[in-house]
Amino acid sequence: MKPSPVPEKRVLAVDPTSRGFGFAILEGPEILIDWGVKQTRVRKNRRCLKQVQELIERYEPDIIVLEDCGAKGSRRCLRVRNLIQSFRVLAANRRIPTRCFSRLRVRQVFSEQEAWTKHQIATAIARQLPELKPHLPPFRKPWMSEDERMAIFDAVALALTYYRLANLRRIIPSAQGLPLAIHAA
Amino acid sequence: MVHPKLPNYLRRYRKRARLSQEELAFLLGGGSGAKVSRYERFKRIPGLETGLACEVVFGVPVRELFAGIFQKVERNTGRRARLLARRLGARQAEPLMAEKLSRLRRFLPS
Repeated sequence: MKPSPVPEKRVLAVDPTSRGFGFAILEGPEILIDWGVKQTRVRKNRRCLKQVQELIERYEPDIIVLEDCGAKGSRRCLRVRNLIQSFRVLAANRRIPTRCFSRLRVRQVFSEQEAWTKHQIATAIARQLPELKPHLPPFRKPWMSEDERMAIFDAVALALTYYRLANLRRIIPSAQGLPLAIHAA
Repeated sequence: MVHPKLPNYLRRYRKRARLSQEELAFLLGGGSGAKVSRYERFKRIPGLETGLACEVVFGVPVRELFAGIFQKVERNTGRRARLLARRLGARQAEPLMAEKLSRLRRFLPS
């Protein structure tokens, strides 16, 4: 059964980093509207919150997708956990629903494309959305710190996870909390 | 329900073309990057000439570049067409009126 041609929701995905956040706005799994990295060095949470507020006002997303930092195995610091919580409060005040996905969930979704590591996921995204190809960071060596542009790919990965799971739910309405392997079967 | 589009998608296409705001402003004929920034932040609506220049630069029809504005114009025009059709409907017996009405109904929203 094919999913009905329902217009896709406009999604704002935000991925906080140590110096700011990466974001992506999509209107479907293949329609990337805007993307980028915002950086700040002082009063990080307050400034990040203000910048996300501006993005919400400009793009009026239907849903905001964030990382589930409360999930098992999450290694986010307290500041980032608080920031993500603030994003959720901001969204709730504006009556915008939020969805949170753990890194494990994202990896499960991308495992369909045989992408498990961050770099493999970023490469898979660059293949799907060629406009992101110039932003693809080089393969990270053990002595290198993470490229700031990786936050864009992490944000896009969250948004694509949302679309993938939303489409599955459209096909199999009863498939709410089932693991992905069962959906695909 | 029609999904509301953004007023314009200039930022998307500019970034895809890997152009800076300054470069796009130059291609659009004068002005600074600040003007392009205002278009992209939906603070200002470009004129017809600029809109057509955008179509030339990106190779995308104006109605797609300015999808939200197009949606709004289409809706408003449809509403006015319905109103006009109702007004003309009273004078259906007059010659040429039937043709005019059928022309109007062609772009009436369903």
